[in-house]
Amino acid sequence: MLRRHPWITPASFLLLPLLVYFTFVILPTLNSLYYSFTDWVGYGADINFVGTANFEKIFTDRLFSNAIKNTAIWLALAMTAPTLLGLALALALQGKSLINTAYKSLFYLPICLSPIIIGIIWVWLYNPKLGIVNIFLRSIGQDHLATAWLANPHTALYSVFVAWAWQQTGLNMVIFLAGLTSVPTPLVEAAKVDGADYRQTLFKVIIPMLRPATVVVLALTAISALKSFEIIWVMTMGGPFNKSDTLAVFMYSESFRKFKMGYGSSAAVVLFLVTLVIIVLYFRFAAAAEELYD
Amino acid sequence: MAQANWSRNMGIAVRYVILTIMLILFMVPVYGAIVTAFKSQAEVSAGGYWTPPANLAAENFERVVDPEGGNLGLYLQNSLLLTIPASFFSISLGTLAGYALGKYRFRFDGLLFIFIVAGMFLPPQIALIPVFRLMNDIGLYDTLWAVIIIHTAFGIPICTLVMRNFFQVVPNALREAALIDGANEYSIFFRIMLPLTLPALAVLATLQFTWIWNDFLWPFILTQKAESRTVMVGILNLTGQYTVDWGGQAAASLIGSLPTLFIFVFFQRYFIRGLTLGAVKG
Repeated sequence: MLRRHPWITPASFLLLPLLVYFTFVILPTLNSLYYSFTDWVGYGADINFVGTANFEKIFTDRLFSNAIKNTAIWLALAMTAPTLLGLALALALQGKSLINTAYKSLFYLPICLSPIIIGIIWVWLYNPKLGIVNIFLRSIGQDHLATAWLANPHTALYSVFVAWAWQQTGLNMVIFLAGLTSVPTPLVEAAKVDGADYRQTLFKVIIPMLRPATVVVLALTAISALKSFEIIWVMTMGGPFNKSDTLAVFMYSESFRKFKMGYGSSAAVVLFLVTLVIIVLYFRFAAAAEELYD
Repeated sequence: MAQANWSRNMGIAVRYVILTIMLILFMVPVYGAIVTAFKSQAEVSAGGYWTPPANLAAENFERVVDPEGGNLGLYLQNSLLLTIPASFFSISLGTLAGYALGKYRFRFDGLLFIFIVAGMFLPPQIALIPVFRLMNDIGLYDTLWAVIIIHTAFGIPICTLVMRNFFQVVPNALREAALIDGANEYSIFFRIMLPLTLPALAVLATLQFTWIWNDFLWPFILTQKAESRTVMVGILNLTGQYTVDWGGQAAASLIGSLPTLFIFVFFQRYFIRGLTLGAVKG
């Protein structure tokens, strides 16, 4: 253990990073809280304190409750589909053979692409006339399924989600693979010797051992799902009829398109509070998972 | 025994057939972007979107890079001028903070660590409006500096986390021996500790470069004129200008992804290390 040190030396190392962090991350965050109680329009010095008016208004705003609903759908899908797919890929590609290494690389290639570029590419895939999705559906004689995926109010949110999940799956796979390296081989071997088949080994040994990795995957997925703005903005701008409008998109449109900065700030505060709940849950579960293995 | 082997091999074969089908589906978007980028405009408008190009055409690339056209050359340069300093500054500041938190014990050190790392989870949206205003007030709005500063600040949490974890496992004996030899705290940091951190710095450099390069939200909010436009904002503008020019959009997307693809190919090991930090205990 290190002995306690006079605070001067560590403080001298911390001074600059803390100053920058405080000025450009913490202060703006606190400022946002302040704006959420004002009617600021985004320019000029005309800022009036309006108390909780923004929050009272936001909770009766139908566009806001719509955004909350879409965010909840997005979050529920995000926590399940790419997580399970990432886990399945990690389990299937666990070994170090050449083919596994190549497959792994390709499955996680989308991680290094910008959401802007992913959005642009997927917009062509979904193109009603020339997109590969509809070309494929027509070629197998399912013409009635071919639709304008991003313009159809029933499919827009889900179509954007698939593009987002395309990237997220690879990231989850990488984290599960890292988790798998910490599953002791003797434990798996012992289960086999005891006559367990693969399914039993998977559900009784491997998946329980993957708990820390799962907590990380779920937390990271939830947080990046809540933040995701760019890909939705590129593909639908929240449309049609706000059907793919999430909290992050709502916050942006209110603040920067309708110039209701105060109102937009209150949406940001709500987004922040939802994220905070997830962070607290994460630290609780992460701590619980750590205790399990200590 | 032979029976068991046969069914085992069948299982493996089925697994790889399924994996291969999934991989093909997974690669369709990438394939689409590549073939479209190399097709001539004439060929694209003839309707052959998903077929391989008849012959490799460079015209899409020329058109989007040309200052009279997409002007991506300038935006690429801007993105580099933004990403390199922002990565450098965030890693430097994170190294300083990580060293203080990893190698010294002082009052409230644990609390301070949580306070910094918590920033990793903040949705950037919460700070969007105040940062926009702050940059206006200090006269940096619509300059690359605004984006550099903000990425530096928002990168501090992850860089501090990685460096603190790294410094924690560097043996204390190293520092103590140097102290006995009469070295002061700062020369220990610069002469002894910093050279040891190279692997951790490589991890952070790949991560920060990729994130900052790919980011759209901050440059979109904080810049306006072409002279300070980044490549992602430029590419999105391009899709607005040439809605039907798939060849141009595809070429722009490929160009914009080249630097991060380069990291993906050559520094994969470090990049994955960064992505999985914290996923496994220790």
